[in-house]
Amino acid sequence: MLVLLLSGCNHITMVSKDLSYMNTYIGIKIYNKDTKKMEAALNNIDKMYTEYDKLADRYTSYEDIININYINNKLGINERLKIDDKLYKLLDYSKRYNDQTNNLFNIALGNVIDTWVQYRDGIKTGVPSITELKNSGSIDINALVLLEDNTIMKTADISLDLGAITKGYVTELAADYLDSIGLHQYLITAGSSSVKVGNHYDNDRYKIKLTDPRPTNKYNKIVKGNNIAITTSGDYERYYEYDGVRYHHVINPNTLFPPNHMLAVTVINDDAALGEVLSTTLFLMPIEDGLEYIKQYDGVEAVWYGTDGTITLSKGMSKYE
Amino acid sequence: MNKHDYLLISIVMIIGVSFFIINSLVSFKASKAYVYYDNELVQTIDLSHDNLKEYTIKGYNGDVVIETMKNKIRVKEETSPLHLCSKQGWVSSSLEPIVCLPNKVVIRIESSKEEVDAVVR
Repeated sequence: MLVLLLSGCNHITMVSKDLSYMNTYIGIKIYNKDTKKMEAALNNIDKMYTEYDKLADRYTSYEDIININYINNKLGINERLKIDDKLYKLLDYSKRYNDQTNNLFNIALGNVIDTWVQYRDGIKTGVPSITELKNSGSIDINALVLLEDNTIMKTADISLDLGAITKGYVTELAADYLDSIGLHQYLITAGSSSVKVGNHYDNDRYKIKLTDPRPTNKYNKIVKGNNIAITTSGDYERYYEYDGVRYHHVINPNTLFPPNHMLAVTVINDDAALGEVLSTTLFLMPIEDGLEYIKQYDGVEAVWYGTDGTITLSKGMSKYE
Repeated sequence: MNKHDYLLISIVMIIGVSFFIINSLVSFKASKAYVYYDNELVQTIDLSHDNLKEYTIKGYNGDVVIETMKNKIRVKEETSPLHLCSKQGWVSSSLEPIVCLPNKVVIRIESSKEEVDAVVR
């Protein structure tokens, strides 16, 4: 789509493209005078999402690439496998943040997630017992060994699930790519829970509305900023209810259960990949702990939506007013 | 009544009608919704009416039941594993498309100038 924006005497054009990847909807808008350059960039970004969508796919195998499905199902224990440089870097990035988040951000939860999905999809009824969850299989991320030369190895039968990271990771790569070719004015919406913006198209700041995690729309806060990423983790998608309790899809690796510390948390920082890591991590810890936890990161702010409807803001949120 | 009275009444009426027209243009929000199946436009729905209306669209997994009211739209029922579409509830902004991926159905709203650039839930 092409839209003309008459801003001053500069005839800036907006080109946009909508993609469906990673079970969600990716919307990209670029603002510039050079339409051809923007169109070419959109096509390249489309290719990036396509490629990572395949690489990170847990459920489908492809003939032409070695992906997560292959690593989970075909790779034998202690067998070495050379993988695509892009997938290696994504695994390396995710693993590094497992250390920094005291194991809260864990991409090896696949076995436990699969057990929960059976209950959510109604194949089994009720809530899994802790014994059943523990017997689902290993969730030890250290069983994924990253060797030299893009080679990996599994020392236990873990199942990788990159659902919590890939979307934000690719969005950040796409933004980096746009900046690298001189297209600094952009807005990337990755599903309903994540936005990344570059410079503004009209010497202003982007206005992004944060809405209530429940459909009542009682809470509406507008965040204003440029070159920021906004990422939410919440309990409102992919959940089921049993006996009045909501069981959502974000699992705490230490308890094997989905926590109920809050309805949602939104992270505002400058990096969409880190935004995914931190929103997941904050969602898994009590709000007071989260307020302390983010102090170690520069330029990271957050908004917590408490279970009782209370909103908590980190100290630096005022700069986005 | 003399000539001046008629003139005055006419002026008042013109102002009144203009005000009404301008007001309805300004409050014009979500006027139309576009429903896509597999990236093809399959239905255009007028959202300017006040009463509740129901539409049924053929989705990949089965019927997708859509409800509309003045300036807003929602998916009421769908055949899908997670029902993300119906859970999304009423939508009245062009910035929040309703996306039913398992059914390959996308609903977008056309609205006049938005106050924000994006919405994050």
